[in-house]
Amino acid sequence: MSFEPKILGLLCNWCSYTGADLAGTARMKYPPNMRSVRVMCSGRVDPGFILEAFRSGADGVLICGCHPGDCHYVEGNYKCMRRIPLTQMLLKGMGIDPKRLRLEWVSASEGARFMEIVTEFTEQIRELGPLELQDWEFIPEELETVEISEPHKES
Amino acid sequence: MITVTIDGQKTEVEKETTILKAADKLGIKIPTLCYNELIEPYAACRLCIVEVIRGKRSRLVTACNYPLRQPVEVRTNSERVMKLRRMNLELLMARAPAAKIVRELAAEMGIEKTRFTIDNPEETCILCGLCVQVCENLVGTGAISFTDRGPDRKVATPYDVTSDACILCGACAHFCPTGHIQMTDIEERILHSELTLGPNTAISIPFRQAIPNAPRINPDYCIHMKTGGCEICSQVCPKECINYDDKDEFEEIEVSAVIVATGFQDFDPAPMKQFGYGKYANVLSAGEFEQMNNAASPTSGRIVLENGEEPRSIAILHCIGSRDDNYHKYCSRVCCMYALKFAHLVKEKTEAEVYQLYIDMRAFGKGYEEFYQRLLSEGVHVIRGKGAEIIPAPPDESSEGNLLVHCEDTLISKFREIPVDMVILCTALEARKDAPELARKLNISTGADGWYIEAHPKLAPVSTTTDGIYLAGACQGPKDIPDSVAQGAAAAGHVIKILNQGELLMDAAYAVIQEEYCSGCKMCNGLCPYTAISFDEEKKVSVINAALCKACGTCVAACPSGAIVARHFTDEQIYAQIEGILV
Amino acid sequence: MKPYRANLMLCAGTGCVSNHSFLVREALEKEIKKRGLENEIQVVITGCDGFCAEGPLLIVQPENIFYCRLTEKDVPLLVEEHFIKGRPVKKLMYTPPDAKAPVPKMNDIGFFKGQMLVALRNRGLIDPENIDEAIARDAYKAIAKVLTSMSPEEVIQEIKDSGLRGRGGGGFPTGIKWESCRNAEGEPKYVICNADEGDPGAFMDRNIIESDPHSVLEGMVIGAYAIGVSEGYVYIRHEYPLARDRLHIAIDQARDYGLLGKNIFDTGFNFDIEIVRGAGAFVCGESTALMASIEGRVGEPRAKYVHTVEHGLWNLPTCLNNVETWANVPGIINRGAEWFASIGTGDISESPWGGSKGTKVFSLTGKVYNTGLVEVPMGITLRDIVFEVGGGIPDGKEFKSVQTGGPSGGFLPADLLDLQVDFEQLTEAGSMMGSGGMVVMDEDNCMVDMARYFLAFTQGESCGKCTPCRDGVKAMLEILIRITEGKGVEEDLDLLEELSHFVIDSSLCALGGSAPNPVLTSLKYFREEYEAHIRDKKCPARACRQLNVYTIDPEICVSKGHGCGVCRRECPDNAITGEKNKTHFINQDACEKCGVCFDVCKFDAIQIT
Repeated sequence: MSFEPKILGLLCNWCSYTGADLAGTARMKYPPNMRSVRVMCSGRVDPGFILEAFRSGADGVLICGCHPGDCHYVEGNYKCMRRIPLTQMLLKGMGIDPKRLRLEWVSASEGARFMEIVTEFTEQIRELGPLELQDWEFIPEELETVEISEPHKES
Repeated sequence: MITVTIDGQKTEVEKETTILKAADKLGIKIPTLCYNELIEPYAACRLCIVEVIRGKRSRLVTACNYPLRQPVEVRTNSERVMKLRRMNLELLMARAPAAKIVRELAAEMGIEKTRFTIDNPEETCILCGLCVQVCENLVGTGAISFTDRGPDRKVATPYDVTSDACILCGACAHFCPTGHIQMTDIEERILHSELTLGPNTAISIPFRQAIPNAPRINPDYCIHMKTGGCEICSQVCPKECINYDDKDEFEEIEVSAVIVATGFQDFDPAPMKQFGYGKYANVLSAGEFEQMNNAASPTSGRIVLENGEEPRSIAILHCIGSRDDNYHKYCSRVCCMYALKFAHLVKEKTEAEVYQLYIDMRAFGKGYEEFYQRLLSEGVHVIRGKGAEIIPAPPDESSEGNLLVHCEDTLISKFREIPVDMVILCTALEARKDAPELARKLNISTGADGWYIEAHPKLAPVSTTTDGIYLAGACQGPKDIPDSVAQGAAAAGHVIKILNQGELLMDAAYAVIQEEYCSGCKMCNGLCPYTAISFDEEKKVSVINAALCKACGTCVAACPSGAIVARHFTDEQIYAQIEGILV
Repeated sequence: MKPYRANLMLCAGTGCVSNHSFLVREALEKEIKKRGLENEIQVVITGCDGFCAEGPLLIVQPENIFYCRLTEKDVPLLVEEHFIKGRPVKKLMYTPPDAKAPVPKMNDIGFFKGQMLVALRNRGLIDPENIDEAIARDAYKAIAKVLTSMSPEEVIQEIKDSGLRGRGGGGFPTGIKWESCRNAEGEPKYVICNADEGDPGAFMDRNIIESDPHSVLEGMVIGAYAIGVSEGYVYIRHEYPLARDRLHIAIDQARDYGLLGKNIFDTGFNFDIEIVRGAGAFVCGESTALMASIEGRVGEPRAKYVHTVEHGLWNLPTCLNNVETWANVPGIINRGAEWFASIGTGDISESPWGGSKGTKVFSLTGKVYNTGLVEVPMGITLRDIVFEVGGGIPDGKEFKSVQTGGPSGGFLPADLLDLQVDFEQLTEAGSMMGSGGMVVMDEDNCMVDMARYFLAFTQGESCGKCTPCRDGVKAMLEILIRITEGKGVEEDLDLLEELSHFVIDSSLCALGGSAPNPVLTSLKYFREEYEAHIRDKKCPARACRQLNVYTIDPEICVSKGHGCGVCRRECPDNAITGEKNKTHFINQDACEKCGVCFDVCKFDAIQIT
């Protein structure tokens, strides 16, 4: 059986989720690999969600928000726009190909665009192959210890 | 109060009253030439000299500015005074023989001829200085002044050339006692681009049916506002209604709801050089043509060319700035229909041929298509093809227009050149330049085109993302009048709902800061686009005002302590979802 | 200061400077150095000595030897003879017109002997650009006295007691002016020094500033203290560059010494002076026009029945005095009001207008030997000024008239020569004190022509604001021109008189109010000259060329001139015919009466009838 990637989609409530809805009501076909979670705004996307997704077995994460300037919450998508490159650097450090994380703008009327993006991203992840997380053991003894001063202890 | 005797008549006047005013009270006329009650006495003509007698001392003073301070006797027609007055008039007759007022005053004194040399029999200026005073002190422009001195003195503009400082108010001509200063037209042309709905006077009712329907002073034109001078209106207003101190004020009003109905602005077609707007006088924007059609316009609603003649043919070009990759991609929605209305007006008022150059005729509303059909039957030429270029027609007697419109008629696949006298550009509706500024203030958002964004295109087309703020009309996007009215009524309905509710129903989703986890770093405070987060100085933690919070979750994602919980979108819920769908 | 054997006081007033006194200075310094005398002899540049007709002047102190009309060529001889051999050079000294021997000492010269220096006390004695020299001559001593030991009221009382009256022309009692300004409401107040001296031929104010600017500044500081003012202006004509520069230097030096500016003499009194340059309009000497000009408006007199001491500059109380008035103040403070009041005429115990006290500076010009600047005590007779100080009329001509008070002063005839010069007597005689112009006229001057000349000046300088001055004076001038051209009619004299009274009575300011004085006085004292012009079509003084008939005496033309033909060649109208060695004739029909033939004929063959 060929590799079917698991992709997590984090869609903003106002543009992308509606756009996905539109793609659905318009009976557009796109790969079923993406499973979406609705957030109110792309600004809500905590990098923790992304890490958790990869830990839980996702091969790719797609975040969709409103086009710049169109954010329902004025500027939430800009916040997201700054977080994603930082998260990609973090992923690289962890040995995860940053291409597995993508941020796209999809408006409520862009059902077709949503379809294209999902299709294309799924193909990209398929090419990258399944995500293999490296073993990383947590050994508390190896941590540097810090001496805590007396007064603090008392409290 | 002091008692003075003027020509034998006693009267009581206030201290510092001038003799001229005191005499006027008694009905005694003292001739003056350089005096006007609106202007500080200049005392240059010396015609009003009278004799003031106090005890044995007699003194000659000018009545216009001599202030009565003591009980004195004044003689306005003693032999000594009359002798001086006659000599004065005789000299003025020599200076300005053509000045009617001088001749009349002289005739009253029995002088028919002057004994002195007349330099210029046509001269009318008596150098009274009223015009200079008015221009300098009342109008505050100082465009004219005395030049030269002694007998060569004259009133002139600097270097005797037409002065830019002159604001053409005509005050000098109005005050001139001899008619030496006359107003002449220097510009007789009608400039379409300068036509406005109301006159450019300093005092006017701003527009028809203005509320309140009362005159107001336009500070851009008011001489007093600009210079502190003039004040003529307050002197002539019998009801003392003029209040110069009325200033624009900023008031803070507490409201429960806001309806944004700021409308649109006209697209400026000047950058589209191919249409020659601003270059050819007879290329008008739709707004300018609409103004010309107004019965209160300077042409009284007549459709005329710049030279005042009626046009023989008119081209109406659709989609100027709309449906254009270089300007606005959207359709401005209203142009097709008003262009048809223009054609109808032209047909009604003139004999001109009308050409409509369109891309697609969008007559979509109720009764619109019928109107389009009616226009076709009225003989309006409709050409499917966007106007490409406007050039002046070569001078040719047989030409049917002074402009040539180039276009491609796509229905017959032919390139056409249409001679017309006038071109109307159906300019796009665009978002106001200051729309983003207001959006920031109201915490609402604008789209990439600058139009305000509604909360939901289908389900909440009147609301915005900020509760209590609603949109109406073309500020949200191009809209015609019925649509605007409908949306306005809808917005009003929403507002009435809020006003009558008494309490606010909050969305269940909002963010909460868990005090015990908040480190007080304030990182979230600046993040919130709704300024819902403030810092509690006492507890040293940040607090979210639930009524302002829109639950976007930006702060939740940013909080380094994980202290903020987005209700209904908590971390736990999302993690669970992620786990649920992936594992 | 270093002592020298001799100080050479070289005059550097405008008159002497234009006669190259600076070249003389260079030559002197070079020569002194060449002779190795630089440690013994010093050249000092001083302000004007007043004897401008004889410039450049050099006074050798302490011997008081007076040299005049020096050129740089005279310098080697002068230094050799006087400073090395100790023999003053007679040839370079002043010789009075009718005397044979020169007068070596300055104080013996008639021009200086009759003078009394109060306002000009430091002239010729100090370098006006060196404040130390002024201080050595007691400059700023009066300020110290005033600021440390007198109240403002006491200062005003002192000035009132002195009987000082405005020297600018009006003769208003200075003390009273200061008092009204002090009592006037409004802050801040201003003092102004009027140095816009516009009368033709008058240079009293320029001279005072050029020779002793500190006396003016000191007077202003005292006035400012008495009135309660901290800002002052000097309004000086732009045509006085030297005076302006010296005033600038004096103000800078006084500021450096703490005599102007903040906290003068540590008494907490602040006063500073700014110089404003006038643009050269005569009418700006009128106080309200002057203030308008300082404010940056057109210099026109203001028509208001309020005094400038109450509403002056920027409508605030302003005390304006003339240069000479200010310069008199320090002397009064230093030497006391009594001393000042002892000079002059009248009694001021009853009314401040009762007398004329102190001295007055006149610029003596016209047909006198010693033209120049003189300061004489009030009450001196016109005769003393013209004949003693002025040295009489040159070329043995007959004195005819003297005009006092500038272009709008009246002409006084010979039988009024014993008139005492003071405010009241001059006004009574139909003239005025004015700012101190004094023009002497002799038999060659036609009074009608003189009246025309001065009226032409006042017409040209009238601002043109009011009808009488603008059109009345113009009409008068037209009549006068008519008379001098022989086109006058009998009625013109009455009309002139009527116009004169009209202009005086109804003019806005004193310019028009006094402009007809020359006409009125000449009509009064020299009416027969007018009548000669009108009836006989003759000008008795032969000054009105249009009335002259030029003829050639055939005898003189041939015997003396041998028919030289100069007149024929020079005649612009080709009205003269004749050949060499034969007499010439003037064709009266072609003659335009320009008088060129009379001027060019060296043999006096041209005769005027």
